[in-house]
Amino acid sequence: MGAKKKKMSLERRHNLTGWIFLTPATLMIAVMSFWPMIQAFVLSLQTGKANNLKFDGATNYIRMFQDKDFMQSLGNTFFYLIIQVPVMLILALILASMLNNKNLRCKGLFRTAIFLPCATSLVSYAIIFRSLFGVDGFINSVLIKLGILNTGYNFLGNATSAKIVIIIALIWRWTGYNMVFYLSGLQNIEYSVYEAAKIDGASPMQTFFKITVPLLKPTILLTTVMSTNGTLQLFDESVNLTKGGPSNATITMSHYIYNQTFKFVPKFGYAAAMSFLIFILVAILAFIQMKVGDKRD
Amino acid sequence: MTKTRRANALMYVVLTIVSVISVFPLYWMLISATNKSVDVSRGTMLPGGAFFDNWKSLFAQSPVPTAMLNSFKYAIILTLVSLVICSLAGYGFEIYHDKGKDAVMSVLLLAMMVPFVATLVPLFRMFSAAKLLNTTIAFILPTISTPFLIMMFRQSARSFPHDIIEAARIDGLNEIQIFFRMFVPTMRSTYAAAMTITFMNAWNNYLWPKVIMTDDTSVTMPMLVANLTEGYVTDYGILMLAVLICSLPTVVIFFFLQKSFAEGITGAVK
Amino acid sequence: MKRKILSALLCVAMTATMLVGCGDKADDTKTDSNNNTQQDSTGDTTTDDTTTDDTTTDDTTTDDTTTDDTTTDDTTGGEQKLTVWCWDPAFNINAMEKAGEIYQQDHPDFSVEVIETPWDDIQTKLTTAATSGNYETMPDIFLMQDNAFQKNVISYPDSVVDLTDSGIDFTQFGEAKTAYSVIDGKNYGVPFDNGTAIAAYRTDVLEEAGFTIDDFTDITWDEYLEKGKVVLEKTNKPLLSCQAGESDVIMMMLQSCGASLFDDEGNPAMVDNAALKKVMETYNSLREAGVLVEVNDWDQYISTMTTETVAGTINGCWIMASIKTADDQSGKWAVTNMPKLVDVDNATNYSNNGGSSWAISSNCKNVDLAKDFLASTFAGSVELYENIIPSGAIATYLPAGESDVYSEPDEFFGGDAVSAKLVEFAGKCPSNNTGVYYYEARNAIAVAMQNVVGGANIDDELKAAQETVEFNMQ
Repeated sequence: MGAKKKKMSLERRHNLTGWIFLTPATLMIAVMSFWPMIQAFVLSLQTGKANNLKFDGATNYIRMFQDKDFMQSLGNTFFYLIIQVPVMLILALILASMLNNKNLRCKGLFRTAIFLPCATSLVSYAIIFRSLFGVDGFINSVLIKLGILNTGYNFLGNATSAKIVIIIALIWRWTGYNMVFYLSGLQNIEYSVYEAAKIDGASPMQTFFKITVPLLKPTILLTTVMSTNGTLQLFDESVNLTKGGPSNATITMSHYIYNQTFKFVPKFGYAAAMSFLIFILVAILAFIQMKVGDKRD
Repeated sequence: MTKTRRANALMYVVLTIVSVISVFPLYWMLISATNKSVDVSRGTMLPGGAFFDNWKSLFAQSPVPTAMLNSFKYAIILTLVSLVICSLAGYGFEIYHDKGKDAVMSVLLLAMMVPFVATLVPLFRMFSAAKLLNTTIAFILPTISTPFLIMMFRQSARSFPHDIIEAARIDGLNEIQIFFRMFVPTMRSTYAAAMTITFMNAWNNYLWPKVIMTDDTSVTMPMLVANLTEGYVTDYGILMLAVLICSLPTVVIFFFLQKSFAEGITGAVK
Repeated sequence: MKRKILSALLCVAMTATMLVGCGDKADDTKTDSNNNTQQDSTGDTTTDDTTTDDTTTDDTTTDDTTTDDTTTDDTTGGEQKLTVWCWDPAFNINAMEKAGEIYQQDHPDFSVEVIETPWDDIQTKLTTAATSGNYETMPDIFLMQDNAFQKNVISYPDSVVDLTDSGIDFTQFGEAKTAYSVIDGKNYGVPFDNGTAIAAYRTDVLEEAGFTIDDFTDITWDEYLEKGKVVLEKTNKPLLSCQAGESDVIMMMLQSCGASLFDDEGNPAMVDNAALKKVMETYNSLREAGVLVEVNDWDQYISTMTTETVAGTINGCWIMASIKTADDQSGKWAVTNMPKLVDVDNATNYSNNGGSSWAISSNCKNVDLAKDFLASTFAGSVELYENIIPSGAIATYLPAGESDVYSEPDEFFGGDAVSAKLVEFAGKCPSNNTGVYYYEARNAIAVAMQNVVGGANIDDELKAAQETVEFNMQ
């Protein structure tokens, strides 16, 4: 009886320690994210231009569904999400497991090289991508030399190909970034597991799907949530690579919101409402991903 | 045997191709930094002789040392503080997990999904009212605690063996000691990865400092680069040199840390 | 220890936001509550200082309670320093510093501190400051894009100072230029750089096709198209390149006949706008003939000139600085006026693209000093404009155009007195109404133009563009 009581209090103490551990971080998030978010929500219920705002119920939330440009940006963003996130994560996973090979030489060099894109400043990479995909750019001259094209194709001037260029750019920039998490996650898998699998005659493919992927599940979940979030809030590529063009074919939601806030006559309430839609969308997707992936076995 | 050798060769080929594609823009940046603006605009791919001229002009027209120093100051302080409080929280959420904490974690995750454009204006009001504009504190506070880092540490704490904790408790270590003496060294690879990512994000942070930094002495490197692109005439040689200088710290940090997070010391756990 | 500081800060931050953050009601109450907090914080500076030690507030005079339209003349003893935001070191920053030096000659205590701030950042900072109703972060003087004047002044009337009765003689500037910063008959900006449209051509290429620069002076777009076809055929070079998705050329064509995207009441007027339709038709036929090529971004646009793939360009006169970076092309360029529209009322060969003007922010602690400074430099000193001519800053201040410096030949442009020419062009440029919703309309027109290029019907696209702008105005 006494022993049990003691254990209880010990558990209580640990429980309390746990709360102390997470208090500073939680408090900061509450003040720096949730409090401004509540203010933004209050703002989203108001309409008007600049500082002449008045409460107007859900007007802004109705308005955005009548806003053709915003709906287009929503469609564009989802197009990026559906294609880019899976391709990038699979690529990152493959590269990470290649680089985790014990016998590989020059690992540090390869790793640094593949990580480089996300450390490269946006300014230079935007210039390079635009010139690579220009009408007389490198990609076109290669395609012409290979006989695939006769004349230069205007990749950034065509709605579908411009979207694809954005996706390629995103994959190029963020694959190395995600690889870092997988590499670090792979350290928690004992190398002996792989050795054992090898002895059992498992092919590299089998090892990858039967060992690497299941053991990396927590990390894969983390990167999926993060990439989904990043893509739905995508801003830089739309602004710097294509300026949202041609004819808004590549504009993202965040870019459109930015325009409504800083470029056009400011409509803060409307911008806040659109931000909340992004928030809700990400939350729903993350919730689904967590439900599917976050199980303690 | 030949099969594995062929597989190995294929691996080298794939990695080399991916590396070349990844490195190309950095190469281009390097080349451009050594050329005159007009040659960059003409698409040269060969090193030129204007590096020192570009260097001199860049340092003459922009406060590079101040910006570097500021960027380092902000990024280092942010990274260190952020790692401590987020790993504490991540550890707390996982090791002492119960229904209540799991619920709090889910709520915190919501914060990750708030678009920054939405909270920008309220945050600005907050810091401007607190008279904290143009300060390091204003730079670091909004991103000092991120759900993402907490989640990262929580996910990696999941693989931290509970018997170690039990053993340490029996040895008489208190909970804080367990965290600092057992968890932190074991999770070196996670810390290294988190450090790289946090430093990079802090270093490249642009929208926030652009709103809160209003005097010349608090300029950061990304702001300096942006200044260079804004004139009626862009000098591409100078711009690329600035961009190169701006990209280097993250690359260097990655290069030194990558061994720690990719070849971690898993053995120590046992 | 660190956590203690943090939590202390948090408390400060939170209580502070409570004070300001809740003031989202009406405009008046907001400014009121702000003034209160402002006074509060200046009131107990002693306690404040201890907590926010490393804050570097840019107060020029510490014990100066600010009211909005200050006419405080406490120049006595106070430090006479003005902070200025502008963005181009070679150009407007240089001009501002030179102006400071000139003013210093008569006012030894005076100094300007220029903080390099890109236009995008100025706009962002202005917007965030305005929404929090607290302009303390703003400098004394800042440079504003002409196209953004109406939007910002009408959205935030309390952000800048009315300069109408400041003693500045606005008749000394080009009328079209001054019009950008006049809202409801009041002047809010001191005109600065000249964005007069020019057409620049490669004379060597024209010669190859059998033309001289005179064949391209005072011409119409129809003649431009015909001659352009000849140039293209003989030299394989288009006459003009421009950025897809940007409406610079379209807006220049439109302004050249004084037309606008809005009517006088500020309502969008794109449907049944004969001038606009003609502009889009002209643009499209130039492009179809290959006389105009579209590139994807600014860098490629510049490189069409540096790599000699085009025979000319049409843009604001500030483009000359970029053309001049290719010093091996010296002597091969010439500058003249742009073509005019055919069958459109009031068509001229003159227009404008870009340019900016100085505004005094409402945060300025010493408005009289700022006004006097601008009046005696940018609006009163020919010497200043003579000093900044080497950097390519062409004046909109008409007396400066009569200066000898302006008639000096420019070897790069074949020994022509380009500067004087530009001042002359500026005087002939028709003014047009930018409208508050300028950027919305400009965007919508760019989208419409891209669709027309893709084969869509002009009338349908103009209708869609008008609907987009109207939606944004709701």
